[in-house]
Amino acid sequence: MRATRPGLGLLLLLPIGLWLAAGFFLPMGTVAALSVQADTSVFAELGFDLSLEHFGAILTDPFYLKILFDTLVMGVVVTLASALIGVPIALWLAGLPGRWRALGMAVVVIPLLTNVVVRSLGLMQALAPDGALATILALISGQDRVNLLFSPFAVGVALVQVFMPFLVLSLYDTLVGLDKRLDEAADSLGARPVTRFFTVTWPQLLPGLRAGMSIVFLMATTAYVSASLLGGKKVFVAGMVVFEEAMQILNYPFASAMAMVLLGVTSLGVVLIDRLFAGAMPWRTGRTKPLERQLSGPLPEIVVTVMEWIAPSLRRALLVLGWIVLLYPLVLVVVNSVNNVPQATAGAWKGFTLRWYEQILNQGSFYLDAALISGQLALASTVAALALALPAAFAIVRHPPVPKGTLMALFMLPLALPGIAFAIGMLKLLQIFFLIPPFLGLVIVHAVLILPFVLSMLRTSVEALDPRLEEAAGGLGATPMRVFRHVVLPLMLPGLAAGGIVAFLISFGEVTVTAFLSSARMQTLPVRIYADAQFDVLPTINVVSTLMIVATIALLLLLNKVMPLDRVWQKK
Amino acid sequence: MTTFFWTGKNGWTRRDLLKTAAAGAAVLAAPGILIREAKAAPKKGDTLVVGIWGGAQEKITRQYCAQPLIDKYGVNVEFVLGGTPDRRARAYSERGRPSFDVIYLNIFESRQAVKDKVTQPAKPSVAGFENLYDLAKIGGYGVAFNAITPVYDKTKVSAPIESWADLWRDELKGKLAWPTYPGAQGTAALIMAAKLNGGDEHNIEPGFAALEKLKPFAAFQGSQSQLYGMFDADAVAASVEFGSFTQKYADTQNADIVVTKPKEGMPVAMNVACITEGSANQALAEEWVSLHLSPACQTAYAQEIYYGPTVKNVELPPELASKCVYGEKDVAGLIDFDWDHVIKSEAAWTREFNRRIAG
Repeated sequence: MRATRPGLGLLLLLPIGLWLAAGFFLPMGTVAALSVQADTSVFAELGFDLSLEHFGAILTDPFYLKILFDTLVMGVVVTLASALIGVPIALWLAGLPGRWRALGMAVVVIPLLTNVVVRSLGLMQALAPDGALATILALISGQDRVNLLFSPFAVGVALVQVFMPFLVLSLYDTLVGLDKRLDEAADSLGARPVTRFFTVTWPQLLPGLRAGMSIVFLMATTAYVSASLLGGKKVFVAGMVVFEEAMQILNYPFASAMAMVLLGVTSLGVVLIDRLFAGAMPWRTGRTKPLERQLSGPLPEIVVTVMEWIAPSLRRALLVLGWIVLLYPLVLVVVNSVNNVPQATAGAWKGFTLRWYEQILNQGSFYLDAALISGQLALASTVAALALALPAAFAIVRHPPVPKGTLMALFMLPLALPGIAFAIGMLKLLQIFFLIPPFLGLVIVHAVLILPFVLSMLRTSVEALDPRLEEAAGGLGATPMRVFRHVVLPLMLPGLAAGGIVAFLISFGEVTVTAFLSSARMQTLPVRIYADAQFDVLPTINVVSTLMIVATIALLLLLNKVMPLDRVWQKK
Repeated sequence: MTTFFWTGKNGWTRRDLLKTAAAGAAVLAAPGILIREAKAAPKKGDTLVVGIWGGAQEKITRQYCAQPLIDKYGVNVEFVLGGTPDRRARAYSERGRPSFDVIYLNIFESRQAVKDKVTQPAKPSVAGFENLYDLAKIGGYGVAFNAITPVYDKTKVSAPIESWADLWRDELKGKLAWPTYPGAQGTAALIMAAKLNGGDEHNIEPGFAALEKLKPFAAFQGSQSQLYGMFDADAVAASVEFGSFTQKYADTQNADIVVTKPKEGMPVAMNVACITEGSANQALAEEWVSLHLSPACQTAYAQEIYYGPTVKNVELPPELASKCVYGEKDVAGLIDFDWDHVIKSEAAWTREFNRRIAG
């Protein structure tokens, strides 16, 4: 084991630490301070008149405890479902020939670009009582009508649809870095495909899976927009309580207390996930079992045979399911953009028309302006996040000044705080710091929101680096700077590219916090679409989404031509 | 510490000189402050910031309110779009130093904002004020009346719905999309449920008891677009919603939907244009409001989304008038609530609603 240098680690963590201190811990501290305020009136100054009554009210009330429990269960189920569907998709994506990778990538990331309202509309039509799925279920169960909407199931599907791509991207990054020769070696030693999967492939993709599952868990438990749109108050999640108390009842302290409780619970969840995975990856911690106990013998023959028999069909079925979940609502969006109906909520086809495209072209300037702002903001935030996360990833993996788990939990905190609580903190701070230029303020906030994703993806990349390559380069006379430029950076490129894409897309599509921080001249595209959609859902919303989908595909294809994604991802 | 002229213990230091200069400037400027106009006239390059809902609201105000101002003064008009939760939260956090000049809120949010000194009460000096109905003079400048009423899918009921009490029919059990509380529609529905059973906003328990009888609900709807999605998906049979939008939706998309005119009457909802306290563009904001109250703008709203005009000097053709809240009689027939009490009770009622009705 190389010697760690905690001092260097601290230095590398300084940039990200400062940024997070200003952009996250300050608002979070405000939220924490609000949560213990005794005075709940909306203009009350933060003072020292403290009280734990809000926490008491939450933790002793079975109503709130049930909501917290339900939210957690939803989070766990969504995480597991995402993993179940996401792993086959990631495997498929990694197995695609180089030319098709860009398109495959598009299939996965495009749902991230579609506005949450549009996706929810698509899902509502997909799960409608006279839709395909409900009809089939009605036939099977013998009931008259099966109502899938406004149920935990509908909310669960919505959450899986929106968060699964993150898991796939985390996994993909790991999968393409896999050494194929290990698999070949196992094959030549006589291992069957199922055995190879569980003993060679699976252990290697665990780090990516851990990152993906942590992210999905955090986002699923703090989400509330999808839950509101597809479940309303029939499916009460914790994020909705925070929103309601803060924005409608104007009781910031109570909302903050709820957010803090949620934060504590989800952070524990992430630590738990980390522990579980650490247990499953004993080789990392160096705490492997003695050799005799490891060689427990091959899986029973019958089990392997059965699994081999069902594996191909199971894998294909899950893959198709994944495609449907990701793409079906989008297909509806594209189809509806040329549908001659006055409202985008319609399920029926009423004729082909291009008038919605014409309308967008005529009043397109507003959307274009908003898209430009979104693009600039996303680019700035992505660059900032990558620059901050790269040294931090090295610090965490190679020179952790404190235990890795603690560091990761700390940096994942921005995900554990519901966006709405973040907005509360920012709004309270706005009363004090009103002189910050709006664009800078938005970049700071957006970078904070995308850092957890970028950091976990880069951490996985750094962990996969072979330090001996750097040592060899150093031994041949290269200065640390040259080693970094010529050895480390090219190896990190896949991780940086994947992280960059994810970061850009998240920033581009961010609505929750941005809606509260928008000001004149600083309206982003998703906020504009969301504002329009809350009022009336014109089919123009489908046009904008379709155009964004086409633009993304074009961009990815262009990227593939300029920097062939397959060569970027190949290790040798 | 460096000293200046005639040094010595009593000499002036640089600091002293600065203080004197500042005091002198203040003395000279003081009369200027007194004679400065209380309201600066709009000039080219000023920017008016308006916080409003998106969709048709933005479109109509751009045409009838923003464009005339841009043409007349050469000013810029910037829109900040969004629902009232985000815009209101922003306005509250910026109290005294608003980044909005004009902000649109609903009937009770506007009254509360005036009380909280975030927005200004309506001023009679604003052109168009004299034409407002009394109801529209409170909390700001009411710009649109909206009635809240039961709406239903006529293919799913055996007989037309003509009263609020009809929502409790057996055939609708499990097929209702109830408006979520808090919210304008949800508040109206809750209080009407109370009134049907001997209560009112001061005695709300009969309302909750009545709502409990309606459980289980098919869904809770938080916005009109969400409800229309449910109607389109054939997922629900009836709900309580703004009559104006629903009529437009019925006319253009889903002819199965009927907007009722119940015999007990319809609660009022209102869009209110509010000028923020401390706005830097007072004159421009007041002119914006006047433009919104002009017959041209009010008629456009009525035609586009069947919003009821809040001013008396608007003539609507009879066919259009029948679909909107229009005229003295309609306005007088709207049911208004004791909003002060409603606002104060919001937290407690939300608690009750979440525990007894939601889920």
